[in-house]
Amino acid sequence: MGTLHKFIVLTACCILLFPSAAVQAEQKQAETIDELLEMFDESNCLECHEEIHSQWSDSWHSKAVVSSLGGMHNFIEIGLKKEWEAPLTKGQLLKCLDCHAPVVNFASEELAVKIGEMIVTAFKEKDSAAGKAAKEELAKLNVGCLACHNIKATEVARGYNGPAEENMIYGPRGDETDGAHETLQSDDLTRSAFCMQCHGIYKAADGETINCNTLSGSYLNSYIANGGSKTCQDCHLEKGHLFPGGHDIDTVRQGLGLQVEINPYQHLPGKIAGVKSDTSWVPSAVVTVFIDNKSGHRIPDG
Amino acid sequence: MVLDVTARNPKAQSAEQEILFTASKTYFEIGRDMQNRMRYGAWQIKDIVDLTLQPMQQAKEQFLINFDTDIEQVEITTTLTYFISGKSSEIVHQHKELIEFELY
Repeated sequence: MGTLHKFIVLTACCILLFPSAAVQAEQKQAETIDELLEMFDESNCLECHEEIHSQWSDSWHSKAVVSSLGGMHNFIEIGLKKEWEAPLTKGQLLKCLDCHAPVVNFASEELAVKIGEMIVTAFKEKDSAAGKAAKEELAKLNVGCLACHNIKATEVARGYNGPAEENMIYGPRGDETDGAHETLQSDDLTRSAFCMQCHGIYKAADGETINCNTLSGSYLNSYIANGGSKTCQDCHLEKGHLFPGGHDIDTVRQGLGLQVEINPYQHLPGKIAGVKSDTSWVPSAVVTVFIDNKSGHRIPDG
Repeated sequence: MVLDVTARNPKAQSAEQEILFTASKTYFEIGRDMQNRMRYGAWQIKDIVDLTLQPMQQAKEQFLINFDTDIEQVEITTTLTYFISGKSSEIVHQHKELIEFELY
């Protein structure tokens, strides 16, 4: 067997044994949103994980697309169309939706473009029937159970982990489920690096940087670098899968301290312009304010 | 995130005379593109000017306030407000203190 033949056989074996996400995505490409959601069916999660589901339903993860229509519309209509003069493609849309709705990685090119057009309609024509219908459809897309517990679960250490296995649920404990689903224990989900896939400067497949927020940079360079040791999950999982952040005033209060020292004194007569008497002592005060950032990242960030 | 310091005269006879001092300090990020222009779009921002509160750090702000020579009582309110968006905000912490002066 010639060298070329050996290479082809070896490559074919590798592809069969270790299919990459790209290959998986090629194999599984949904043509409709419903088909996409069928491929990543989360409807059964609620049966056993009612409390977690309830927390998630109130979270921003559950509305990660419809809560960000303005920004995504601007990217498509201003960024792509006017500034870059580039067509709307799946690759371009994934600069938003790889994080805001990771299931879109498994959409066909046509469906992804349609989703992009729906985002524009839902924002631009929000009061029309078409706009409302588009928003209702887009509300099905979000950062759902499988976004973290499957699609993104192995991505941080992809070389070591390999791609996520189909139908596998990755969790921090790997609990037995009496056959409800297969589970794999994964430390990755407990690490800040897992959240940092999306909560930081995002590097798209083509190398473009998308700067929705800068949390992870601040966490690494200003918190960890100064001796901080908490993970994102240590604070933001305190209310379970609600994952509160800047939208939750209790969480904001937890991260900020305020101390005020007021030091009254009498200023020397004749030294302050504009007061009523040049011969009277001038009531004065020095107000000193100390604000402690007790969180693991800059405040505010966004 | 905005820090406001306000001094008011609780004995003021009119609304115009009530507020004696206001000052504020804003903590925020400025997104900028590769040409150093301020930008809002996530696809446009490649760098930031960082005017935020840094983790594990204490920010210290000082305000020297001189009142008029007939002011005997002042209420100083310090408010830290978090703006989740341009339209929506909540008070994170507030401190009020009444100080009194003898007039000489």
